[in-house]
Amino acid sequence: MGVNFHSVFFHLMAVLASGFALAVVFSNNIVRMAFYLVASLGAVAGLFFLAGADFVAALQLMIYVGGTLVLLIFGVMLTARGPFADLKTSPAQWTVVGLVGGSLLAVLLYAASSASRWTASGKAASAPPDQVAPTSAPLGLALLGARVDKLDPKQNSASSRAGGMSGYLLPFEIVSVHLVVVLIGAAYLARARRRATPRPIAANSPPDDPSQSSSVS
Amino acid sequence: MADFFANWLPNWLALTLAALVHVTLILTLALTAAAAFTWAERKVAGRIQDRLGPTRVGGRFGWLQAVADGLKLVSKEDVVPKNADPLLFRAAPYVSFCASFCVYLAMPFANGWVAQPLDIAVFFILAVAGLEVLGVILGGYASGSKWSLFGAMREAAQVVSYEVPLALCAVIPVMVAGTMDLVAIGNMQSGWAWNWLIFHDPFLFATFFVYFTCAVASVNRAPFDLAEAESELVAGFLTEYSGFRWSVFFMAEYASMFAVSMLASILFLGGWNGPLPITVWLGLAPNPATGDAPHALLAYLGNFLGMVNLLTKATLGVLVMMWARWTLPRLRIDQVMTMCLKYCIPLAAAMFVGAMVYAYAFPAGLIFRVGGGG
Amino acid sequence: MAVEGVDPELAEFDVRTDEILVNMGPQHPSTHGVLRVVLRTDGEIVLDATPHIGYLHRCAEKIGENVSARQWIPYTDRMDYLAGMNMNLGWALCVEKLLKLEAPEKARHLRVIIVELNRIASHLVAAGTYGLDLGSFTPFMYAFREREKIYDLFELVCGARLTYSYITIGGAMADFPAGWLQRCERFLTEFEPVIDELHAVLTDNAIFIRRTAGIGVLPPEVAIDYGCTGPVLRGSGVDWDLRRDGDPWYTRMYDGYEFHVIAQTGGRYPIERPGHPVPAAAVLGDCWHRYYVRMLECVESMRLIRQGIEKYSRAPGGIGEPIKLTQKLPKGEVYLETEAPKGQMGFMIVSDGAAIPWRARARSSSFCNLSVLSELCRGCLIADVPAVLGSLDIVLGEIDR
Repeated sequence: MGVNFHSVFFHLMAVLASGFALAVVFSNNIVRMAFYLVASLGAVAGLFFLAGADFVAALQLMIYVGGTLVLLIFGVMLTARGPFADLKTSPAQWTVVGLVGGSLLAVLLYAASSASRWTASGKAASAPPDQVAPTSAPLGLALLGARVDKLDPKQNSASSRAGGMSGYLLPFEIVSVHLVVVLIGAAYLARARRRATPRPIAANSPPDDPSQSSSVS
Repeated sequence: MADFFANWLPNWLALTLAALVHVTLILTLALTAAAAFTWAERKVAGRIQDRLGPTRVGGRFGWLQAVADGLKLVSKEDVVPKNADPLLFRAAPYVSFCASFCVYLAMPFANGWVAQPLDIAVFFILAVAGLEVLGVILGGYASGSKWSLFGAMREAAQVVSYEVPLALCAVIPVMVAGTMDLVAIGNMQSGWAWNWLIFHDPFLFATFFVYFTCAVASVNRAPFDLAEAESELVAGFLTEYSGFRWSVFFMAEYASMFAVSMLASILFLGGWNGPLPITVWLGLAPNPATGDAPHALLAYLGNFLGMVNLLTKATLGVLVMMWARWTLPRLRIDQVMTMCLKYCIPLAAAMFVGAMVYAYAFPAGLIFRVGGGG
Repeated sequence: MAVEGVDPELAEFDVRTDEILVNMGPQHPSTHGVLRVVLRTDGEIVLDATPHIGYLHRCAEKIGENVSARQWIPYTDRMDYLAGMNMNLGWALCVEKLLKLEAPEKARHLRVIIVELNRIASHLVAAGTYGLDLGSFTPFMYAFREREKIYDLFELVCGARLTYSYITIGGAMADFPAGWLQRCERFLTEFEPVIDELHAVLTDNAIFIRRTAGIGVLPPEVAIDYGCTGPVLRGSGVDWDLRRDGDPWYTRMYDGYEFHVIAQTGGRYPIERPGHPVPAAAVLGDCWHRYYVRMLECVESMRLIRQGIEKYSRAPGGIGEPIKLTQKLPKGEVYLETEAPKGQMGFMIVSDGAAIPWRARARSSSFCNLSVLSELCRGCLIADVPAVLGSLDIVLGEIDR
């Protein structure tokens, strides 16, 4: 008998993820909700690590926890009325939420248990992968259009596009252009119109009035 | 290491023991480094200001001052402001601390000496280092004071903004090296100093300085420390923290400084490979010419020397940060943001394009080659 | 921000923030003293800055109506406590003018030496704490190290480091001890390279320039309107120094001395630093220029001290005797302003024939300099307020008396 660390950590991460998710739902304080969400998504990143998908896990940490949630917390903290905004959920709302959430959970559980590849059937992953498989190089190449993880020697290179070899080059480019558009839009929206330089000493300069401000250079 | 223990212990116990040893080593190193840096900070500050710094605790050089400070902080009264959110106020320093220390999980100290060998080490480090800002925001908010919140927001905005040029600068050596694995990047720079990536092309050389500047800004050190030093006017996010919690925040800050310095050393300055290939001469490392591999114990010694080498370089980086802090005045927050958006990001992008063009035009390098091929 | 006439497009895109009242002080990390400045800000921009003073009021002028003229000298020390000698001088000259008592020649030169030394000390505090306000810790240490040497000199002369009561009505309390002039010369030799160090760390430092150039621009007419004097006035380009242009009873102290008045006239300062031109970003009247005037005044003070030492050594006679403690003062009133390090410090005495003045009044230079704060801070960022305040170089002891 030994301790299967993979299972231990999986259960730990799963409990953390779902526990904090429940805390998000049941908490009354909006900032604490944001904090619990951070913890929950961090645990999900842990689940990704356990599944051997390092890159996706790091992406989860960087983009969700480090980016989206920081933004969320900014917004929450700056707009919460008073230091501790209280959100009370009425019993009626609880019932609706219970019904919708519960039915969704039931659907998900059914779908998960009926996926044949996910049921424990003899070839349970009891031994954790002790060698970390490189995850980023195939991903990078896939983004450039070469699906090296799906190389099928039976297909010859002439009809390579047909054997599932097409990469993600087009979506990659679309996303990049999309990001540029978003950045430009954000910069445009956030532009401030301020007076550029302080006025040098002039003979009869009028006193500064409050509607103009000095340089923000 | 787990295999080593598995010779005598059942597999799961071996894994636990290996993990514990790794964690202990990392924590000891990082915490000792943080404590040593508090001492060094005071000594460096004193010498720059034409005075001595601590000279009483622990002999002439006051090297036990850090321990004394730690004891003092631990024994202080635990003050939680009345308006503070009790859970978040207490949790915030530890969020920062954990984010800061998790960086060391993927950081190699020598060839193969890394707690968790990751293929995406650089990415992981950048991702985890960016989580430190959550502790700052939570701390500022949970202090229950308007000024702490604003200070925290300002600091968070600065850290998050500087993550962009930092990541861009870190990506450039990754691109030149072709891998995000820090062990591989370090091994690529073995040999003489001209194998270091910083000398690979002029763009990487400039990138090192841009990276260092962005690193200083992202750990909120002077001259970019307006948020934490603006206590003259608006309280920084640290105001309500005293005693042990404050020291946890500062451990996190020093650990981050050390971590970004270490990352710079590995990415640009050769990591554990010195300016001279001493370990090869002494027979402690595999000789690239003849392919001889040394005995296991000698290899261990060679790696140990490499680790000392890397820690020295990282410490030098931290000392430069301290030097800058005690010499330069502070930048205003809008000047900090201007510098990020108008100077660092375009520079980093230009360096990226330049390095790319250079690597395309001179794949074998013009004068210096990246050792081991790139 | 409820401002009429705002472009509606601007109003729509600007993130609206309520006006906040930020309270600065009365406890400060910097040594300006116990000053409370209430800022009304719109987000980061300051709309209004109102200084609240009075925290250091010690009824000095009321006490002046209850003690004799010579007994009031310690109270003048404690006004601008960073330049006690100058305060002593101001009051002593005022009473001497009332008494029509001329201090002997040797005392005149002694006074020049002492007063200019104290000017250097005061400007060192200004420069050092200015760096400290902006986050530069090191020049503070360098400046205070030099200030310690000046304090050692003063301690040898009168026994006190900060509150001297040395320059008195009729001369000075005691002559220089043996060897003091050599020590003073040695200090001046050691001090010259330190000025260059301070220039390197502050004046020419790119970050310092970014924090101070173009900030808090004070037009000369506004400066004159508000009664600003000293480096604040000269930093705006007004060529006015009481040591040259003031009351003859005071300017006669500087008879025979050669010195420049540090103000930018015709686009140039009287002292050029080769290789270090005035930065392009600096606008005349901004914080950088006010600070720069102080730095150059240190150099001029050194020149004056050297001339003073030489003249003192050649002057015959003694340094005079202080008047009797209970000397009756003639009826009359005299107002005399002197050029203190922080500006024009005026003392007024109204006497009705008794030994105790009927009214003793001090016109504080920092009081008027501070009054221009709200003008200067309007429209700047919150982080600029310490920069502006530091450049005005106020001391609350003088403002509140």
